[in-house]
Amino acid sequence: MIVDSPRRPRPAVGGYLTMAIAVAVMILPLVWMTLASFKGMDELYRLPIQWLPDSLAPTNYGTATQTVPFGAFFVNSTIATVFGAGLKMLLGLMTAYALVFVDIPFRRFFFYVVVCALLVPQQIVLIPNYALVAQLGWLNTYQGLIMPGLASAFGTFLFRQHFLTLPRSILEAAEIDGAGHWRRLWRFVVPLSGPTIAAVGLVSIVTEWNDYLWPLLVIDRPEMMTLPVGLTLLMNFDGVPDWGVIMAGTVLVTVPVLAVFFLLQRRIVAGLVAGAVTG
Amino acid sequence: MATATTPPDAPVRRVGTHRAPRSRPRSRRRNQLRNWLLFAVLAGPNIALLVVFTYRPLLQSFFLSTLQWNLGSPTAIPVGLANYADFFSDPGTARMLAITAIFTLTTVGGGMVLGLLLAVLLNRKLRFRGAARTIVVAPYVLSGVAVGLLWLFVFDPNFGVLSALLNAVGIGSPDWYTDPQWALVMIIIVYLWKNVGYVALIYLAGLQAVPRDLLEAAALDGASPIRSFLSVVLPLLGPTTFFLSITTLLTSLQSFDIIRAMTDGGPLEGTTTMMYSIYLEGFANGRAGYSSAIATILFLVLFAITVVQLRFVERKVHYS
Amino acid sequence: MTRPELSRRGLLRLGALLGGSAALAACGGPTISESGGAAQADIDWSGVQPAPQITWWSNHPGTSIELEKEYIRRFQEQNPGITVNLVTAGKNYDEVAQRFQAAAGTDNTPDLVGASDVWWFRYMINGQIIPLEGLAQHLQIDTADFNRTLYDDYAFNGRHWALPYARSTPLFYYNRDVWQRAGLPDRAPETWDEFEQWAPALAQAVGRPPLGLGPGTSWTAWWFCNFMWGRGGAYSQEWTLTLDKPETLDAGEYLRSMVNDKKFAAVSVGGDDGYVADFSAGVTACTMASTGSLRGILAQAQFEVGTGFLPKGPAGPGCPTGGTGMAIASAKSPEQQLAAGMFLKFLTDAEQTANFSAGTGYMPVRTSAIDRPDMQAVFAKTPQARTAVDQLATTRVQDWARAFVPSGDQYLTTAIERIMLQNENPATAFSAAAAEIKTSYEQNVARYI
Repeated sequence: MIVDSPRRPRPAVGGYLTMAIAVAVMILPLVWMTLASFKGMDELYRLPIQWLPDSLAPTNYGTATQTVPFGAFFVNSTIATVFGAGLKMLLGLMTAYALVFVDIPFRRFFFYVVVCALLVPQQIVLIPNYALVAQLGWLNTYQGLIMPGLASAFGTFLFRQHFLTLPRSILEAAEIDGAGHWRRLWRFVVPLSGPTIAAVGLVSIVTEWNDYLWPLLVIDRPEMMTLPVGLTLLMNFDGVPDWGVIMAGTVLVTVPVLAVFFLLQRRIVAGLVAGAVTG
Repeated sequence: MATATTPPDAPVRRVGTHRAPRSRPRSRRRNQLRNWLLFAVLAGPNIALLVVFTYRPLLQSFFLSTLQWNLGSPTAIPVGLANYADFFSDPGTARMLAITAIFTLTTVGGGMVLGLLLAVLLNRKLRFRGAARTIVVAPYVLSGVAVGLLWLFVFDPNFGVLSALLNAVGIGSPDWYTDPQWALVMIIIVYLWKNVGYVALIYLAGLQAVPRDLLEAAALDGASPIRSFLSVVLPLLGPTTFFLSITTLLTSLQSFDIIRAMTDGGPLEGTTTMMYSIYLEGFANGRAGYSSAIATILFLVLFAITVVQLRFVERKVHYS
Repeated sequence: MTRPELSRRGLLRLGALLGGSAALAACGGPTISESGGAAQADIDWSGVQPAPQITWWSNHPGTSIELEKEYIRRFQEQNPGITVNLVTAGKNYDEVAQRFQAAAGTDNTPDLVGASDVWWFRYMINGQIIPLEGLAQHLQIDTADFNRTLYDDYAFNGRHWALPYARSTPLFYYNRDVWQRAGLPDRAPETWDEFEQWAPALAQAVGRPPLGLGPGTSWTAWWFCNFMWGRGGAYSQEWTLTLDKPETLDAGEYLRSMVNDKKFAAVSVGGDDGYVADFSAGVTACTMASTGSLRGILAQAQFEVGTGFLPKGPAGPGCPTGGTGMAIASAKSPEQQLAAGMFLKFLTDAEQTANFSAGTGYMPVRTSAIDRPDMQAVFAKTPQARTAVDQLATTRVQDWARAFVPSGDQYLTTAIERIMLQNENPATAFSAAAAEIKTSYEQNVARYI
């Protein structure tokens, strides 16, 4: 990194201004959501627009948590995300390692088998997979929730592209030292892949946590629902939806993932930025 | 630092399993067998899962696309390619494809441009840039359903915060929910808001591979920083751009949650993309065969685009 | 008596195993056959014992999950041998229906399932539900006491396929403060002509088109029935489309000019629920909204809310009904079906009906429920609720093109929205819808009935 040069010109006003605008655009909708979550039904629809809620009493939060079991949703989402994303990363690392470092014929064919899976629209697989999962008796179970989406295509693709760029001298040295494949994967390849793992991890966790359509289909017991599905339970159809309560629920769904992200962002963002993710 | 110009398969033949030149045919065969076993252990589970939960349904969907089948009905009749014929002769198809194209091009293209600009900005030595990076990426981690719900409130032409702001500067709010064109714009804005941080983050990572002094020079050189950026920095980001163009294209063409939460494909079908049409025809209309036909076409389109992209990048790699 | 459903399923599985399509059947796909799945012989219920456990799929319309749990508790107290599992199968009627369709052919079907006005017919042609005549007779369900329209909404070929549960009608809601400012009598307009006379004063009072209209599927083509029937038109007569009938086109033209020329009405810009929000906030002077919205509107509005019948047209009143009924799944044993029938009887008896109506704002579906003291107490407290019950007498069973043809509602909604939003000629808009409905009928209905 180059140290700031002493003859650096004018303070970057334009830069700060643009940054402030970007940050505002990203954050204001979230602020508006939070404000709305404290408003009563009559406050939400008032003209002229009412910026601040009359009171900060968490009435809507009380209603939301009493109407649906948010605690259970949270636990389910966490379990599905930890196991789903964790196993998916593991599968991706193992597959990518095999695709790059294990010498077999038709390796390229298997690579394409994995990559083509990225192209299959999710809607196609819904009904056949639902039928299969139902037949296995996996409805309303964690394995039913996790298994169909477990295979790693995106991660494998990314890991493979990264592994191809690893200096081969290290791997050769490890091989000559007699390190087995398992050891080579964990002691040499994985430590050299921090940023890629961070990127895949971020995408996997986010996808898993926010998945909507599949959990909606396979889970129908409230105590097994995940947060995005549970959120829709707050919608009162054929009546007037109480948007204050729905916004409170949305805040409850949003805050945990934001909190985790803010805690880990140093690692994720810094990790990603410290090394390049390359295609 | 990883450079990105590695040809996808070139080094493989030499890295990895060291091929001893003196190995006799027999031990080579044993080696082969061992490698197959090893490959099966490492890659087998993943590929098996893909076969069961992705390719099996895909094949079944090809088959279903040749049927006239009401979802939920125990019976169906084979109709050959009639569903495909229906798709291409339906007067609404052209509009739906146009909507899909507009949505995809603006979300992918717009997302890449905005993401790159944000990345360049957040790569500059500014105070608070760490916090700004985090905030810009934050919407990406949110659930699409939650994002859709919260933006419904922002866009509401009577009670939304956006209309209040627009009214304050003397512009009335567009009819986001009842005008098909504005509804599409609204969906695109929300999609970009949610996903631009991801693009910025990956570009930010890519920018680290660009020597700092080049960037500084680009910034300091009063003559034409834009041109020096375009001619010097952008080419170095080529691999990142390629990676992003594939992943954002796939996500964009398959986006669902935001449309579901905000417009349900309306008004007047103005936000019904191909993906959303698969859902509407299959689940809402119960035309499972027809829905499978659209899905098959979408799959083929995605396949074709990806093949072209891969070709493109391979040629580029040879060139460099 | 045989169990046709079980044997049919058994045969289906056997055939699938013997034939080459085992893999497909294992995936829950359809079998290839020209025959449809509908109707089957009635079962002799006299020797059947109720099953000990049944599953009920509901979306708890009107935020009624606590009420539904309470009904289950009461039922199990009376019938200790039967347990009812309540499942939240979706957030609205469509999600329940979509899940029910996806579950067809798997072991995960419910015994009792929500069947909304636009979905039950599809369940029926897919052979997913049973006709209730035999069961009703065996269990001595007093079907004559149901409101005729609400009960006959589920009739086809002389059989009923569901019983009414959470049922609603549209109402005319008006802002009494605005009415007063405009110097109008404190009541809803009797006819649309009268509304037109009042409209200029109302428009002046609110500074915009006074009547708010809601867009969106499951809604627009529903309230339009009022204009259409009131002018002698209809979407269809049985399976014959009447979208090109002069009366139907006249209704479309009336709506078009009201919105686009006279500007007495406007489509709410606030999306699918916007018309309710606009009215509750005082932006519009009046609107047509569901009875199910009454509680919400009363909670939001800062003014006095008045309700009335939907205005009449030259040909008289016209009011559709909507909401959901409950149906019994066919893919279950007679024991399961009998237990489900017993619970359905309990759920729709006068006591539960009145309680449900009081707690949610849905219509009391039984005539005898209306006179019960708990119902009368509701009317005393919210007189607006009474309007809907009185209006029931003017309701009429829906046209098949909207309620029975898959996506019929969606095609009609698109046509009506084009008339309102894009000022399109009703003849053009309706003929496009007619073509789509015809295709859907031929592909999805004709061969099953």
